[in-house]
Amino acid sequence: MKIVIVGNGVAGISCALAARKRDLEAEIVVVSKETPYFFSRTALMYAYMDMMQRPDLEPHERSMYENQNIQLIQDEVVDLHSDRSTISLRNKGELTYDRLVLALGASPNMFPWKGADQVKDGIVHFVSMQDLDNCERLTPTTQSAVVVGGGLIGIELAECLAHHGVQVTFLIREPYFWPVALGAEEASYVTEHMRDHGIDVRYGEEIASIEADASGRVSAIKTNKGNTLAAQMLGICVGVKPQVEVFKEATTPPKIGRGIVVDETLATSLPNVFACGDCAEIHFPNKKEDERPLIELIWYSAKRQGELVGRNLFGDAIAYRPPLFFNSSKFFEIEYTTVGQVMQLEAGTPTIYLKHPTKHASVRIVHKDDRVLGFNMLGSRWDHNKLEQWVNERRSPEYCLKRLKSAQYDVEFGHVSFAGATSQSIALAKA
Amino acid sequence: MKKAGAAGWFIHDIKNRGVTAWITSLALIAFYVILYFNHKVDPNGRLDAFSRSLFSFLPESASPNKWTFYGFLYTVAITVGGLYVLYKYRHNKYQIVRTCVVMFVQISLGFSVPILLKIFHQPEYYFSYFWPLKFDYFHPSTIASQPLPFILYSFLGSLLLVPLLTVWFGKRWYCSWVCGCGGLANTFGEPWRHLTSKSTRAWKFEKVAIHTTLLIALITTAIYTMGAFTDLSGYPRFQSVAGFVKEYYGIVVIAVLSGVLGTGLYPIGGTRVWCRNFCPMAAFLGLIQKFGRYRIRVKKNMCISCGLCSKYCEMGIDVRAYAQSNKNFTRASCVGCGLCAEVCPRGVLRLENRTPLDPQELNFLTVLKKKERNGSRAISA
Repeated sequence: MKIVIVGNGVAGISCALAARKRDLEAEIVVVSKETPYFFSRTALMYAYMDMMQRPDLEPHERSMYENQNIQLIQDEVVDLHSDRSTISLRNKGELTYDRLVLALGASPNMFPWKGADQVKDGIVHFVSMQDLDNCERLTPTTQSAVVVGGGLIGIELAECLAHHGVQVTFLIREPYFWPVALGAEEASYVTEHMRDHGIDVRYGEEIASIEADASGRVSAIKTNKGNTLAAQMLGICVGVKPQVEVFKEATTPPKIGRGIVVDETLATSLPNVFACGDCAEIHFPNKKEDERPLIELIWYSAKRQGELVGRNLFGDAIAYRPPLFFNSSKFFEIEYTTVGQVMQLEAGTPTIYLKHPTKHASVRIVHKDDRVLGFNMLGSRWDHNKLEQWVNERRSPEYCLKRLKSAQYDVEFGHVSFAGATSQSIALAKA
Repeated sequence: MKKAGAAGWFIHDIKNRGVTAWITSLALIAFYVILYFNHKVDPNGRLDAFSRSLFSFLPESASPNKWTFYGFLYTVAITVGGLYVLYKYRHNKYQIVRTCVVMFVQISLGFSVPILLKIFHQPEYYFSYFWPLKFDYFHPSTIASQPLPFILYSFLGSLLLVPLLTVWFGKRWYCSWVCGCGGLANTFGEPWRHLTSKSTRAWKFEKVAIHTTLLIALITTAIYTMGAFTDLSGYPRFQSVAGFVKEYYGIVVIAVLSGVLGTGLYPIGGTRVWCRNFCPMAAFLGLIQKFGRYRIRVKKNMCISCGLCSKYCEMGIDVRAYAQSNKNFTRASCVGCGLCAEVCPRGVLRLENRTPLDPQELNFLTVLKKKERNGSRAISA
């Protein structure tokens, strides 16, 4: 059996390894246009800040691909012919498959801001290796930069630029930082922390227009509040969307919605073709009328889906069931762990909020009646496996509060105690 | 990407095997060659004389020599490097406690105490070193020259205290908390910790090399001991081999591997070239660690494969390989410096002396417990 995987990100490579585990003989080919080897996208910022070099970003030793007999091709896929089970590559002709996996990931959102079409250089994203190359090329000639978008990638890019001594203005459309995940209370000290690092954080401010100099390089940003910000770099970090453009134009396109439409076994509308990771739009049977199909755009889900497809290729038809949500991040030095449902609940849902008296650290327990629904933990380390267990076991907030310490994961001698923290009851505002 | 300017260039260059790193390495190697082998070219011992003049304020019984001067430089390097590490990791209590202990041990047990002992006409004894690292503490001639308490400390320390502490806390209690070699690596060597090779080849080499040195150390100790207790005059061939082994262990293992290369290669091969590949003590502790309580715990499914843990592991352990496959692990070489846990941006890793024990794991304490349980069952049946 010949398995062709398009995309060598975490979904694609997890799929390849899972398939190899299942079948020692199958021919496995991974095609990517971005890089010859799988690299960790999440570590781009560390390469940018000189904490790592390019080869360090690869999660597997290169000999692993040979040992596991996984063939890597760097080329761009331009067409799909489901009728004769082949894909066309830009340079290396056609590739036949018995099973095809589409794991193309996501691409950054871009809006048609006024003046953007005149800009030839200086606008950057921060999700691909090419983006990193681009950022590194531009940084030495940049004194000030504007980053747009109050989410994870935005704060990472802001941190990197600040590391290199660039004056960063961080434009965030929302009233506070990352409201889809954080409460206003957490966001307020994350903002303070960003400002301590020299970031000029501005809420409720957006791009009105982009100006370029004679060479076409970004020179200034005008905002909706009438400010003009000098900037030689403009970081656009306003989310990502499933990468589906290639297949919209294909000879035999799979069904495409916002992403590549798959059923709960991650099979597309075409025979023997699967999709996983950021590019997949999962339609579950028996979904409610108003329920939108699932698109998961995080590292963890891509890995899970890739591993599942690695088995379903062989006819297993295991349904994908996303586990209880969890995620993690780091805002400069503030670590963040979240489990379960937190901010996407109806307004008025009660929460218990503990703020550490001195540190930028807090605990938020979201609950309904006597059942814990989720946790938002910042500034110290938490064992999310334990927190998941509490949500799954339908524990009460009192139960969790009493045992908070058992879920803490700080370094030895470094236990962050919330014993002295004042407990507040805060109802969720409208998400 | 390196920072702009001359400072940015220099920091990147010296930390990433650039020209300045090579120059630093050559300078360190030259220093160690002079230190260890100066007697070959300098029979009058100018280095010793220099040390005597430097420490002339000490009472005569301190009898300073070149090693006193070296000990002084070593202590300064650990203290200055330690202050840098304390500043860099000031938010991490484990690093603060550990670094303070490392600095304290070096300043006291590793430097002042031996000089004080000499001043008070006692043997120059280093309480922070044990056999098989401090090899001569088991040599009959050394033992014969020491008062009983020192001999007891040597034996109970090496054969009882060291294994017990290692079963309980892992080899870290020694390699990254007490030992001078580890102390220098974790303070002065901090800028180069990430250079240790993470390749499978380096790991294979490490396993062969370190256990070979341990074996050689054991054989050499055995030869010394035999020489003291038996009359070998009838076996000239054995005697010549014994003489050869004794002389070359000192030159190859102690001078070249731990000094010249071990420290000289900091800016090129990372800070633990000696500890990882050659130290017989590390090999001994590593074998015990595999069956002890110490482990690195991995939070399930939280790893993002960024690789900072592997990058900053001074022992060349590919920590990411374990973290991204959700496996708790205990590697013989892990010295428990805690830097993988420190740099992990998702707080996935945690150093632990675990309780309760996992019954499925091969473990010294589990084996004991299992026996007990089986025993009691047998009685009740």
